[in-house]
Amino acid sequence: MERKKASAVDYLLLLPGIGFIVIFIGSSIYITVAQSFGLLSITGKSQFTFRFWEEVFHDKESLDSILFSLKIGLLSSVATLLCAFPMALFLRKSGPGKGLLSTIIKIPQFIPALVAAFLIINLISYHGIVNEVLMALHIIDKPLRMLNDKFGWGVVLIQVWKNIPFVLLILQGSLASIRDDTVDAAKNLGAGAFSILMRIYIPLAMPGILISMILMFIKAFGDFSITSVAGPAYPPSIALRMRNTATLFQEWDKAAVLGVVIIVITLLITWLYSRLADFVTGDEK
Amino acid sequence: MSRLILKNLTKKFDAMMAVDHIDLEVEEGEFVTLLGPSGCGKTTTLRTVAGFYQPDEGEIYFNDRLMNNVPPAKRNSSMCFQSYALFPHMNVFDNIAFGLKMRKVPKVEQKKRVEKVLEMLSLSGMGQRRPGQLSGGQQQRVALARAIVTEPDILLFDEPLSNLDAKLRVQVRVEIKEMQKRLGITSIYVTHDQDEALAISDRIVVMSQGHIEQVGDPQSIYLHPKTSFVAGFIGLANIFEGKIVQRQGPEAMIEAPFGKLRALIGDRPGKVGDAVKLSFRPESMKLGSGGDGSRLRGTILHAIFMGDTTDLFVDIDGTRLRAHADSMTTLRAGDTAEFNVSPNAIQFLE
Repeated sequence: MERKKASAVDYLLLLPGIGFIVIFIGSSIYITVAQSFGLLSITGKSQFTFRFWEEVFHDKESLDSILFSLKIGLLSSVATLLCAFPMALFLRKSGPGKGLLSTIIKIPQFIPALVAAFLIINLISYHGIVNEVLMALHIIDKPLRMLNDKFGWGVVLIQVWKNIPFVLLILQGSLASIRDDTVDAAKNLGAGAFSILMRIYIPLAMPGILISMILMFIKAFGDFSITSVAGPAYPPSIALRMRNTATLFQEWDKAAVLGVVIIVITLLITWLYSRLADFVTGDEK
Repeated sequence: MSRLILKNLTKKFDAMMAVDHIDLEVEEGEFVTLLGPSGCGKTTTLRTVAGFYQPDEGEIYFNDRLMNNVPPAKRNSSMCFQSYALFPHMNVFDNIAFGLKMRKVPKVEQKKRVEKVLEMLSLSGMGQRRPGQLSGGQQQRVALARAIVTEPDILLFDEPLSNLDAKLRVQVRVEIKEMQKRLGITSIYVTHDQDEALAISDRIVVMSQGHIEQVGDPQSIYLHPKTSFVAGFIGLANIFEGKIVQRQGPEAMIEAPFGKLRALIGDRPGKVGDAVKLSFRPESMKLGSGGDGSRLRGTILHAIFMGDTTDLFVDIDGTRLRAHADSMTTLRAGDTAEFNVSPNAIQFLE
């Protein structure tokens, strides 16, 4: 059948979607990049300069913020995957009670991030439920600092709790696309449970695994609300640092640099994802 | 190579009896087909033999070894799936070598054995291709290569040709049969295609509603069906009820709704006045008045040209029968014709 050529009307129909992306997101990125180099400045004279980049990369707090957010992004994405993958495998086949379980697991998805953070605070704060229970059971003598800890474990914990349903949804879709016959064929050829996991489930679900990891990374790396509630006093997350730089210190150009850093790291991780996906699926050029 | 014995094998899914107390013995190197319509229990039987289902009752033996509690990975049976079930993320070589890797066969030996089966199944040079880059027939051959490379005790086929077009199906089934004979692997083949079963099997097990209707070689299943189900399922058959009106020596005269017929009754029980169920094949209803059989006269309802034969639908005293004439026949709907049915073509059914 001859393929119909796209007409001007077809392109016009695409305009609301593509136009939105180009005008609002494209222009925002353009302005952010320009501001990071001193152009289109909203606080002073516009002049091309690398000064703001130099200042940010010589500022310990900014560098610590970038590293902290990278750490939270990577840890959260790996930890969420490690929690969600066994669940997705367990829920792959229907069974008694699994529908209800699947619904319960997905509840955090419908709770806004800030509300989720406060919910978890009730659990893990200095005098929260977990500490009180552990002390009542005489497992610990004094409360553990699980919230606003220096390392950021509290943030990771909330990120994992909040995002398990999101990652689970992606993984369930990936695992559902694996045919039962494929798994049976592996069993029939002598593969045990571990071999089936390593040689069938993980490679075939790899596109979903990588997509969920990258999306999870982006969410945790650029997170503002959870780190502002449960994060350490120092360093702030990159998003928090960016907000402070722009609104507290009125250094919009330096905030733009941090914005560009977020964009570049996100693009870099996306590129790494596509390379890794090609490598795993064997489509390397 | 193993002998397969199923004793009183039973498998239920909730209240549904999928396999209903079946007994079957398959000799070493034998090619046995489980044949029946959808839902008859043939695939469930096969998957229970493979270890994918646990039997509710009964025993499965490979030679003298009870296999009921042996997991699929430890049974040394290989299965060819209807969907081929090739691993899409592996190339042809790795697909075929998978079973060898699981058995920890040394790499040099793996390569030797994979290359041997690739050559045996005309797949040489395709080792680096992905399953998605192969035609249906090639994928089926890879699935077959993957199944035989581990030298299994029992080879299991779950409708392996149903996704192929008609011509390729005939070609691949010949290849399967030749390969099985050459390797001498005990094989269980599941299909709902009677032509496939007749062409490929040493013995056919006809199944219906979870139980075995008849077991026999292709000729005996086709020529001497025991039940109306087997007569009707394998090929075409004119199945009817009649009454014994005379019995003399090995012959009986049967009064059928469309006339009297002579049939070979042998030493089968049945006295004058008893009701009987009978069948004969359309090709046994010979056109013309010659021959030593019973003569029938009817009106042609439809004459359908089939290439090698003409399929005739005949009305005889209100009963519709099927007959085959050669492709050159000039008979058309509305014509009257005489037919002759030999006594030994008529089968008594249970």
